[in-house]
Amino acid sequence: MKTKLLTRLLLPLALLALVLPGCAKKPAPKPLDADLSSSSYQAPVTTMPSQDVSGFRQQAVGDGANAGDTVLAAVPVAGLERIPFDYDAFTLSAQAQEILTRNAAYIKANKGLKVVIEGHCDERGSDEYNLSLGERRALAAKAFLVSLGVADSQLTIISYGEELPLDRSRGEAGWSKNRRAEFKAVR
Amino acid sequence: MNRYFALLTLMLTLFATPALAQIEIRGPGQQAIPAALTPFLPQEGAPSPQVAAEIEAVLRWDLELSGLFSLIDPKAFLADAARIGLASTQVDFAEWQMLGAEAVIKGAYSVTGDTLILEARLFDVVSRRLLTGRRYVGKLKDVRQMAHSFADQILLSLTGENGPFSTRIAYIGNSSGHKELYLMEVDGHDPVRLTNHRSIVLNPDFSGVGKELLFTSYKAGNPDLYRKEIYSGKEAKLSSRQGLNTGGRYSPSGRELALTLSKDGNSELYLLGTDGSERKRLTKEWGIDVDPSWNPSGDKLAFVSDRQGNPHIFILDLVSGATNRLTGNSKYNSTPAWSPKGDRIAFSRLEGGSFNIFTIKPDGSDERQLTFGGGNKEHPRWSPDGRFLVYSSDKEGRKAVFIMRADGTGSVRISPPGGDCNHPAWSGSW
Repeated sequence: MKTKLLTRLLLPLALLALVLPGCAKKPAPKPLDADLSSSSYQAPVTTMPSQDVSGFRQQAVGDGANAGDTVLAAVPVAGLERIPFDYDAFTLSAQAQEILTRNAAYIKANKGLKVVIEGHCDERGSDEYNLSLGERRALAAKAFLVSLGVADSQLTIISYGEELPLDRSRGEAGWSKNRRAEFKAVR
Repeated sequence: MNRYFALLTLMLTLFATPALAQIEIRGPGQQAIPAALTPFLPQEGAPSPQVAAEIEAVLRWDLELSGLFSLIDPKAFLADAARIGLASTQVDFAEWQMLGAEAVIKGAYSVTGDTLILEARLFDVVSRRLLTGRRYVGKLKDVRQMAHSFADQILLSLTGENGPFSTRIAYIGNSSGHKELYLMEVDGHDPVRLTNHRSIVLNPDFSGVGKELLFTSYKAGNPDLYRKEIYSGKEAKLSSRQGLNTGGRYSPSGRELALTLSKDGNSELYLLGTDGSERKRLTKEWGIDVDPSWNPSGDKLAFVSDRQGNPHIFILDLVSGATNRLTGNSKYNSTPAWSPKGDRIAFSRLEGGSFNIFTIKPDGSDERQLTFGGGNKEHPRWSPDGRFLVYSSDKEGRKAVFIMRADGTGSVRISPPGGDCNHPAWSGSW
């Protein structure tokens, strides 16, 4: 039972570790060139440690653009599915409730798992309002999970509003994918 | 009342002989002054075409945006354009009158090493006198700033109100791969990245008092409110309460700020001190309350709430505590911005599938639509003199920051190409 659970957790995480660096299609950040007329603004500088090993130097190399990216620190979990929402709504459809019931079972079976519920919106409407709407979606999902017996201490929520869409195309096909709550593991 | 006063001033100044009276900025075609912007000429030392070109480009852009002038084609200029004229006795006004000009802008520069001296003049052609003149001494690299300063001075001398061309605009851009905070000049030049959060930075606001900005960032794993000193670069987390810390807006006095917190289970408006301490909770309704905007006297807030169903704009009186709905029958209104003049509130409304920008009086009357057509125009913010607006628009595909006059005319893109740029904020005087 335990080894099955371990492989269910480790295998997707291992796969992610292989896949994530390749997924980062963002360009490397340009150096901070903040030379304001009377400022002495310094870009934060990170120096990598180097060590001499048998005649040649080697340097630890970070993940470039995504190093320290807190948003990407939460990872998807194979046993937890996302739920959809209708436009401008935070009510849970029958389909969403079914998915949440399965998610609840998974989380209850993994008492050491810490889950962050992310609330997301499609791009329509005010960014500020969507941050709040996203939060309502995450809270609705959390309340439902707790009502099914999931420990409150295993769940935290965060809203990203319209900031992290799954699909950037315009139109209902893309928008409906973006209206969602995600369930991710945090270390 | 204001109209009578303006008319009286106009009549008095007309009787006092100058042809260029104190006027309000309106759209082009209404009271636009035919003006000649002449090339600035080298006074001492070698001519520097780059310096002349920069001055010309800055003044041309600023004066066209102002809506005050219709600039005469330089190809029509006669001999006087090539002569230095820094006093009214040195200018051949008859020549300019032949071209139909009512105003002439003339100047000269001299460059020694990296020092620049700039002389700039605005002449009234009909009364043949100097309206305003300035001498600027500084570094060569400050040439654009000097030219912007003279454009401000031109507006001051003609309208009684200083121009906004020396101020700054902040915005959120993602060309680095993450949403970060940037600063640029009013005409979009010299964009500079201010943050390196490598996360998501949102929704900046300038302090009216110091050179500081508020913004929200996910850097620490939660949407927290930060303050940043622009010149020292120092940053501090002002509010990292559980949930949302968003939409931070300095009060006009700079002594407190309004924002949305959701720590008590719902998105509500609060007042915080500048140290981040909670001063007052402002809303207690079940709905989402976001997007606060202060009136210039700091005793009212316009904000967005869906407490009555769809997002509408409400006005909260901070003294009496009364809240009244501002927007009428439309379905979705957001991002209100109260003019520094106090007489109008700009906002964004969803109609026919697109967001466009409107302005309205604080009593709910005299609603005017400023932008039209497809694409989404949002986040309007006023210039400190209340005569211009900056906003974000995606009508060109990617989100970009645009500038326009307060009547909706003269819109032009100012954010640099590359990535999405939105959430503009306009500084006070710089």
